[in-house]
Amino acid sequence: MSERGIVLSVTVKALVAALLLTGPAAAHGAFVDVGATEAVAIHARYDTGEPMAGAQVSVFAPDDPAHPWLTGVTDADGGFVFVPDERAGQWAVQVRQAGHGAIGYVAVGTDGAAITVTAASTDLSWAQRLLMAASVIWGCIGTALYFRRARTAEPA
Amino acid sequence: MSLPCARFCTLATALTIGTAAAAEGTLHLFANGEALAREGFVAPELTRDGWELRFDHVFVTLAGLSALQTDPPFDAAAGGKPAATQTVVFDSIQQVTIDLTDTDAQGRVLLGTAPAPQGHYNAVVWSVVPAQSGDWAGQSMVLIGTATRDGQSVDFTLTSDATHDYVCGEYVGDARKGFVAAGSDADLELTFHLDHVFGRHDLGATDHMNTHALGFDAFAAGGTHEITLTGLHIGHVGEGHCAVSYR
Repeated sequence: MSERGIVLSVTVKALVAALLLTGPAAAHGAFVDVGATEAVAIHARYDTGEPMAGAQVSVFAPDDPAHPWLTGVTDADGGFVFVPDERAGQWAVQVRQAGHGAIGYVAVGTDGAAITVTAASTDLSWAQRLLMAASVIWGCIGTALYFRRARTAEPA
Repeated sequence: MSLPCARFCTLATALTIGTAAAAEGTLHLFANGEALAREGFVAPELTRDGWELRFDHVFVTLAGLSALQTDPPFDAAAGGKPAATQTVVFDSIQQVTIDLTDTDAQGRVLLGTAPAPQGHYNAVVWSVVPAQSGDWAGQSMVLIGTATRDGQSVDFTLTSDATHDYVCGEYVGDARKGFVAAGSDADLELTFHLDHVFGRHDLGATDHMNTHALGFDAFAAGGTHEITLTGLHIGHVGEGHCAVSYR
């Protein structure tokens, strides 16, 4: 199984720091696996073009669609990126802000690598600014381009 | 795999498929006018032109209620015909007039209950239609209440005889809805956003909704007025959007 995406690489970096700071004194080294894989990128905006900055995001996995698998907040550009795990099927992402909401869907293939868009989001409503034809634009970044193991710390 | 095991597994699979095909739950369909219907337009959420509104009644007449499983999920922004893989028609409701101010503890009005094959009902279809009978026969929406601004209060009755047809995608709210499992209940909701009719003062004059909403100034004399709702997106599914057409 390959490691996944930029988000995971950040997590790994944090883990390395933790190991260096708190690892057992007898440890001979620390290693980090760095890889790249596909992720799902969301861009949520109002139909005015204004990004939905700071909007609440809930990601639902195919086998538990009623409960969020992941929650987060969009960035200043209305962006949000996540890496689905190996569960194949339809993933859903809901974005909400100030009484406006939309949900989008993406299908993940059985090998966990193929991501295909099944639907754009619903229109995101209306009230604030302009009719919130919000669009949650799904994108797929990369396709498991490489897997690379790098040693980040030499044995002491 | 041994032969007996293979036979057993085949039988078990067949039984599972048979059970799944017959599995049903129950689907409840509600309507909700949100706090704006129940509590009115109260500061800071006044009408776009600064009126406080309190409603005695918000009558809506509904027909043609159906819940759908769609694949791919219906995209209300794109419109078109939903790709339904399962449809539950609330055929016990030929036509029903509800009052969005007369709700249960959750602020909802139960429209109907129907047996439903298991699955995710991620689209809803319904129409707002003129009532065939009753005190407001011929009207599809009737809003009765009191408006107040700058110490002036007027009683009003606003009527519409328009028919609007809604095709909505998935409900969007605090929790996803419409998941029917065998032997269990699920619910869906039609949500009426009255701020699309009157606008919202707290959103500013240039807000897109406010530039389209009727406001209340035109009815400031009180009494009964016919209102034109064409083009206003009143019906939603929670915060989720619907494709709407007027006729």
